[in-house]
Amino acid sequence: MNYGNLFKYWRTVLVVAEMSIRTELNDGFVLFAIVFQPMIIAILALFMLREKGADFAMFVVVGSGLTGLWSSLLFVSGNSINTERWTGTLESLVGMPTPFDVIVFGKNLANVFQSLLSMVVSYLLAAFFFGYSLSLTQPLLFFVTLLLSMFAFICFGLTIAPVFVMYRSIQQWQNAMEFPVYILCGFLFPIAMLPGWSTPISYLLPPYWAAIALHGTSTAMMPFGQIAFAWGMMLIFSLVDLVIASQLFKIMLYKARVDATLDVD
Amino acid sequence: MNAIEVEHLRRVYRAQIGVFNRSIKEVVAVDDISFEVQQGELFGLLGPNGAGKTTTVKMLTTLLIPSLGFSRVAGFDVVKQANEVRKRIGFIFGGERGLYWRLSGDDNLRYFASLYGVEPEVSKKRIPYLMEMVGLKGRGNERVGGYSRGMKQRLHVARTLLHDPDILFLDEPTIGLDPVGAREFRNVILDLQAQKKTILLTTHYMFEADALSDRIAIINKGLVIALDTPSGLKKHVSDLSVVEVETFGASEAVIEKLRALPFVDALSVEDREQKQMLLIQTERGAEAVPDVMAALDGQRVGRVIVREPTLEDAYIRLVEGAS
Repeated sequence: MNYGNLFKYWRTVLVVAEMSIRTELNDGFVLFAIVFQPMIIAILALFMLREKGADFAMFVVVGSGLTGLWSSLLFVSGNSINTERWTGTLESLVGMPTPFDVIVFGKNLANVFQSLLSMVVSYLLAAFFFGYSLSLTQPLLFFVTLLLSMFAFICFGLTIAPVFVMYRSIQQWQNAMEFPVYILCGFLFPIAMLPGWSTPISYLLPPYWAAIALHGTSTAMMPFGQIAFAWGMMLIFSLVDLVIASQLFKIMLYKARVDATLDVD
Repeated sequence: MNAIEVEHLRRVYRAQIGVFNRSIKEVVAVDDISFEVQQGELFGLLGPNGAGKTTTVKMLTTLLIPSLGFSRVAGFDVVKQANEVRKRIGFIFGGERGLYWRLSGDDNLRYFASLYGVEPEVSKKRIPYLMEMVGLKGRGNERVGGYSRGMKQRLHVARTLLHDPDILFLDEPTIGLDPVGAREFRNVILDLQAQKKTILLTTHYMFEADALSDRIAIINKGLVIALDTPSGLKKHVSDLSVVEVETFGASEAVIEKLRALPFVDALSVEDREQKQMLLIQTERGAEAVPDVMAALDGQRVGRVIVREPTLEDAYIRLVEGAS
């Protein structure tokens, strides 16, 4: 995406996000992805770690929230492109003067924003169902990290969306993309538990840096230098993702117009 | 200046067939089409199913890349300057799709207005105006999913006028509408015509094309087979009369026998529940009736009418002649 477009079309981004939330909150699948699935993951993890104390409970709350963020981005954003294709609105969106990546940015913003609900649900579960007394160790830094993480997730999602535009059958691969990111990014347990060869892959995934910083500011007194480093990595990856997404959108939209895949006919 | 210029446009679809022995099948949707539409003109595009009408409209609205040829809309190349074209056009593809059913009518318009780059202050005034214009005043707060087909079609018109485009592409906009809804819709098109909008209209309904269009191109198998004013097209059949014969259960063999008669120029069949209407074009007029009745010997026959040809008859003659 052209960075300038984010400023030029900020009002459009907000309208797209608003309309996406209004549309998707009526959808049972969306509620499953952002509420029930993270809730199930949180319950399982809290049971398994119930001897470990409140710090681990907070780790699970943040981790299951991150699973909700990723699942929402992968499934809801991806499916929404396919749904738009089936309902005939994808052609209308591509045929608009607003760049299509701006529209997808707005949709991703909506999905990431509404998926924060999964963190809230996990928190309520841990606090009221399991009786943990939960508090954030560095609340201000946590909220700054959360905002940067949302931006990083949105940008990461932008690199995936063009593939959904191009390939109608991509949904078959969504499940295969869900759990590897949970594991490689250390959402629910540290990546130190994984084999050494997988660590460089984790470093290349923006959600990993989001997980590091969110866990570090919620359950531990992570030194500010390390937090700032994670922020920097998220920003760098976000900007790189925007550039990659911009090129991918150009290529995939052109190819979709050549191959006639914007509609189901 | 021409609002739309189309030069030797061609579009081929490629589909992969087979699971193990995969091969590519090519389908030529548009073979070689050229025409021009002047500013403020209502240009009709007629043709049977699969003739290439929708594919042509999709290429002109930047949604498909042509395989060959060149096209300019509002002076801009539809491939290289797609975004400039998009700012200046509106398009409707017939049917109920293309709207957000879970949102209200007003929210749909607010959403699309934002995507068209209409300022919020402008869209606040424009949305109620357009809802009134298309006869949906007072229904804007209802979810689109609850709208009738006709209401959805009219909402499509409002959507496409949000940014006040100069050029409109209406692809079978009245398809599936009841007669009253279709008539109201035609009135909306006439209003747009009065506002000097350039309109490219595709339709199956001949009387609609006849009543609305300044000029009509008839396309068949991806080629323009005729391009003229409605009255100019009718001249193609001015030497003919049409014998309409109502039959009940005439077999294919009987119809072929009729078609083979030397004085039959073209013959089409309209199925109307249990009966069929045979439309026979002939130079002999009423004199052909006894021979037609002889060929239908043994068939149950209802009304027989001899009349002057219409645009539909010209269309049938041209399409059948091209086939």
